[in-house]
Amino acid sequence: MTINEVFDVLIIGSGHAGGMAAKILTESGAHCLMLNAGPVADVARDAQHKAAYELPYRGFKPPGRLEHVFQANEFNANVWVDEQQVPYTFPAENPYNWVRVRLFGGRSLFWSRQSFRLSDYEFKAKSRDGFGEDWPISHADLAPYYSRVEEIFQVSGAMDGPPQMPDGNFVLDSEPWSESMRRFMEAGKRFNMPVCKQRRALGRDGLASSVNLLLPDAEKTGKLISIANAVVRELTVDKNTGQPNGCHFVDRLTHREMHAKARIVVLAAGTLESTRLLLNSKIGNSSGLVGRYLMDQIYGAGLTCSVPEARNGKATRELMGGGAIVPRFRNIDSKSDSFLRGYALNVTSSMGPVHPRNFATYGAELQRKIEEYHGSAFFMTIMGEVLGRYENHVRINKDKVDAWGIPVLHVETQYSDNEFNMAKDAVEVGSTVAEAAGFEVLSKNAVPNPPGYSIHEVGTCRMGDDPKRSVLNNWCQSHDHKNLLVVDGASFTSAGWQNPTMTILALSMRASEHLASEVNKGNL
Amino acid sequence: MLRRGFVRAMISVIVAPRALLSQQAGKTGLPPPAPVPWTLGLNPKTPLPQTEVADTITESEQRFFTAAQMATLVRLSDVFLPPLEGKPGALQAETPVFLDFLIGSSPASRQAMYVDGLNWLDAEAQSKYKRPFAKLDDVQVDALLKPWLRTWMNDHPPTELQENFINIAHDDIRTATLNSKAWSETVSGEPKDAAPSGLYWYPMQFQPEICSACSGSTGMPHVKAVPKASHKIPSYPR
Repeated sequence: MTINEVFDVLIIGSGHAGGMAAKILTESGAHCLMLNAGPVADVARDAQHKAAYELPYRGFKPPGRLEHVFQANEFNANVWVDEQQVPYTFPAENPYNWVRVRLFGGRSLFWSRQSFRLSDYEFKAKSRDGFGEDWPISHADLAPYYSRVEEIFQVSGAMDGPPQMPDGNFVLDSEPWSESMRRFMEAGKRFNMPVCKQRRALGRDGLASSVNLLLPDAEKTGKLISIANAVVRELTVDKNTGQPNGCHFVDRLTHREMHAKARIVVLAAGTLESTRLLLNSKIGNSSGLVGRYLMDQIYGAGLTCSVPEARNGKATRELMGGGAIVPRFRNIDSKSDSFLRGYALNVTSSMGPVHPRNFATYGAELQRKIEEYHGSAFFMTIMGEVLGRYENHVRINKDKVDAWGIPVLHVETQYSDNEFNMAKDAVEVGSTVAEAAGFEVLSKNAVPNPPGYSIHEVGTCRMGDDPKRSVLNNWCQSHDHKNLLVVDGASFTSAGWQNPTMTILALSMRASEHLASEVNKGNL
Repeated sequence: MLRRGFVRAMISVIVAPRALLSQQAGKTGLPPPAPVPWTLGLNPKTPLPQTEVADTITESEQRFFTAAQMATLVRLSDVFLPPLEGKPGALQAETPVFLDFLIGSSPASRQAMYVDGLNWLDAEAQSKYKRPFAKLDDVQVDALLKPWLRTWMNDHPPTELQENFINIAHDDIRTATLNSKAWSETVSGEPKDAAPSGLYWYPMQFQPEICSACSGSTGMPHVKAVPKASHKIPSYPR
């Protein structure tokens, strides 16, 4: 490495998308520079096991911080991006939960690990119901990459998926269903609910992250240079060619301004940070669609139930335990009158405690209820597709900057009747199925959490074949600049109900291999 | 090796003038800079002093709620979570005083919910029983509270004002009590009874090695002690 070296590829972001790009590109021989906005998280240095009473706020979320990170508590408060340090704005009536991690490895350190493929019910959704746009690729295009990603991430599951949830390259889950799950499956038949084994990345050594499954492979090549605490201000453009040629960044701690040069720029900073960077850099937006079609999934609606036979200490492993995924079952073989697309249900049978808020009582009577119901919990929670709408968008707020003087994002998005009706349907169906299975419904909620809560924000640089109707081509390359790629969730054309991680990884792998082959052919 | 040699040369260039200055200072009779490198000897063998959490052994100052609001909160806390089965109740865990601190540090909307809720509860008691909430007997308290209790799911407390306050206050009082030191000292050891604990992440605003480099305390550039190539890289069968 020399000072002012021009790298083959500049990768901005170190999570799943950036980690995969680094692995594939360095293994292809490219010299890569990776910039990450935050520090390396070293659990031995930065974390310690503590009792809640040892913390200043007894485990409560530190007041006034992280107002829009519902997932935060006092234990993990310092891993999230501080809303005062990196603010964003939104209309008061439509709050947005932007949940961010800037540690090296990004959100890949903390994700829930649910691992699903999109199906052609998502890739070709417009062809089925007329809404939005089809993706320029199909499941067949992505299947080989999904398979390799599933191998790397050691995804467990069973080959039990219906067409709307394609099977994959799984560590096979052959655990028998518990009786409570079998009762749920039987009761769900009237709604044609396919009840399948959960699909979850096991990872290695207890972690399924970019930092242990992707970046080590890149480092082994000796071709990856990584810089932590590098907050990218904007991409730079060659004055002669008009093509991106690097970036300006600022050191997070010293605020020193720096510049990196590269022949190719890969954005992997996470959907909205990549989009913010493009908008602040004023490039790649000849379509005018950068920032448009922000999507995610509705979370927060669901039910908490109790299996009566498991109460009073009678829960057994035969009766209770296990989880299931009910992939989308609405608008598959029939058509709903109240919404397009559909939702999945996460179903969990638990031998653990039932939270006190499920009982409208207090004191000694509440204590008796808690003990009586312990071990009998059965949960259903929704993951529902949010439609891609032009008006749901982000743009730069020129009147506000972050701690490094970088203009912030203004997020303007809201759920429509389609999403609200979907949530209502999920709770009605869930209640009916629970009662048919003989469960008691303790509490339910049909109101989704604010947009963004699922941490599955996708879109805003959607891919497509038409440069006027999309930002990226089907290889995640900018229509405007072939040496500029966006390999995170920003490229999604529709959201689906699925956790997007497997798709982000597969798209990044596919885009990176294509990029490497184009370079080798001399096309870039 | 070339790079390491270069770094050593750079260090000597930076250090040499300081050493010369130091010698010159000595000749003029000025005392040597003191204290002598003060971190010398701080190492993993250094015994760490034992400390305690302040609010478990000292009294904190009440600052936010008025005396009347505090009296209502004390009664409410005692009713919602009294001492049960050998476990401390909310009062033994000093939950009301902790909530005075927590709510007093909170955004205005949360403060308003508590202040308005406590005032409303007291007004209801005065209206129905002609006495403050703090002086109601258990039957009267139960008649006041029960109609407002709801079941609810995480992140979705009831939205109506009174239900919102009663149910959130109930949740907060339980959490503050179960997370107290008093509670942790009485747990039985059974998994379902374990004291709340977890992996606490310290602030990562500053990385020690970077801070020492930019503080100028040594005047020496940061040099990695371990060459990059010796980092342990996991290898998995694929």
